Amino acid sequence: MTDTRKSPTLALALALVALFWISPLSWVAFNAVDPLADGTLRWPQAFGLANFSKAVAGESGRQFLNSVYVALLTSTLTTVFAGLAAYPLSRVRIPGRNAILWALVLLRMLPATGIIVPIFFMAQSTGLLSLTGVALAITMINLPFTLLLLKNFFDTVPLELEEAAYSEGASLFRILWNVVLPMSRAGLSVVWFFSFINAWNEFLLPLIFVRKTADFPMSVGLFNSFGEHSSVDYGFLAAYSLVYALPAVAVYFLLRRNLSTGFAGVGVKG
Amino acid sequence: MFDDAKPWIQRDWKLVAAMLIPAIAVIALLLYMAGWILVMSFTDLALFGRKATEWSFVGFDNYERLFKRRGFLNSLWVTTVFTVFSAIIGQNILGFAMAAALRNTGRFTKSFVEGAVILGWILPDVVAAYVWSATFTENGLVDLAILQPFGIETRNFINDHPLFVVIVANVWKGAAWSYILYSAALDTVPSEVVEAARVDGATPLQRAWHITLPILRPHIATNCLFITISSFVYFPLIYALTGGGPGRKTQVLSIFVYQESFAVGKLGYGSAISVAMVLIVAFLSIFYVRLLKDPR
Repeated sequence: MTDTRKSPTLALALALVALFWISPLSWVAFNAVDPLADGTLRWPQAFGLANFSKAVAGESGRQFLNSVYVALLTSTLTTVFAGLAAYPLSRVRIPGRNAILWALVLLRMLPATGIIVPIFFMAQSTGLLSLTGVALAITMINLPFTLLLLKNFFDTVPLELEEAAYSEGASLFRILWNVVLPMSRAGLSVVWFFSFINAWNEFLLPLIFVRKTADFPMSVGLFNSFGEHSSVDYGFLAAYSLVYALPAVAVYFLLRRNLSTGFAGVGVKG
Repeated sequence: MFDDAKPWIQRDWKLVAAMLIPAIAVIALLLYMAGWILVMSFTDLALFGRKATEWSFVGFDNYERLFKRRGFLNSLWVTTVFTVFSAIIGQNILGFAMAAALRNTGRFTKSFVEGAVILGWILPDVVAAYVWSATFTENGLVDLAILQPFGIETRNFINDHPLFVVIVANVWKGAAWSYILYSAALDTVPSEVVEAARVDGATPLQRAWHITLPILRPHIATNCLFITISSFVYFPLIYALTGGGPGRKTQVLSIFVYQESFAVGKLGYGSAISVAMVLIVAFLSIFYVRLLKDPR
């Protein structure tokens, strides 16, 4: 058995790993709390929240809300669509079920960048070059993966409870709502988390779909601000980055316990 | 309908069928788009100008252009270097090493290192791009903390070694996935087998090579499949960090598709690049799925 106390090499290696992951972030944190930040690497000259108040006010605040809108719409739609279809795919031998499953496996590997051109055209012709269009497009791209994941998850939920509920006279809706749904919390939260994070991070689609800065989600907003190299406000950018990162980190830690059970099925079966 | 299904499903089969509708509509739409790409790759459709409306079929012209002009082959090479070094070597090996090393360390060390690595994974791509552009810029963290103390001339890494920068950034961003997968996989290795080998006098390296790795073979193949494909089509981190430049030095295939389609406006050519990209991804998947199968 190895132990950090007994193996100084291992301890040193782990310290280097931690340093590699932490140090780039610390620079951002220093700049964010320093209202006098000028982008150089140094201990904060002053402490204050001025950068953060700039990062949540006005247009930046709008962009935060835009991101929330896209992420919540995407994760809700994905979870509902995938959950609805995964149950019959798991329980019923529908005619053509194998064809559907194979199509899902293949479509799951279709890279989003590969179909970006038809997505753009379809959004343009339906008047969906907007944040709602971004959410719908991400939902569409996510669905093959999330549907397969949930189908695999439902396969592991035992039928006996549904049978028991049926013999007590429960309707299909009640069986789904009171038996299947509570039993699938871990699987559903993985799907919800996966699509929320995906939408929260999404960069290419809003880059193509959205033109006005007030309509940008935070990904494009941040990219747009550090693209303007002339007069970069480092403190603001650092604070904006942290505000943008925080919800993703918070969602991860809130759902962490559910995720480890749900992700177990992703590995080999996927 | 649904004759052999459970009675509660048969009774409400219309509702069950309706539950499938949204998903089937989405699948149909995705298939339609894949077909659209294939058809358009044989045309000279453009985003703006005369060819936006009066396009025509041009046969295999776009595919010939893939090999006659420099752009595609350069992007293919850049993407391959990026994927091999950042995913297969960087994320995969580092993720495995961390999963193995953190198995027997104290709780605090494990949660601290694990938390740091997962934080990189959870951060939005554009934030990671910002963090790394600040780290590698002229007089950034690397210049001041590593090069200057050793008396090496400082430099702007993003201009001088752009591919190196995006590879490091992608290792930092993505290693957590491999770490999580291998952590879970290592739990499935039966400790009796490893213990028996130890009693028989196998060195740690022999135990890893002859016992742990063969047992983990399907996990390794699955992980490599996943990280290879996701790095091969990765867009946001690289684009936000370098924009594909300087020149074409970090112009991976996804950036090339984006620029040819939306900046240059050659949608037909962009579609041909997309088709080539999808074919390569399909080929890679088949390759890994074959590895996944047990040779015995």
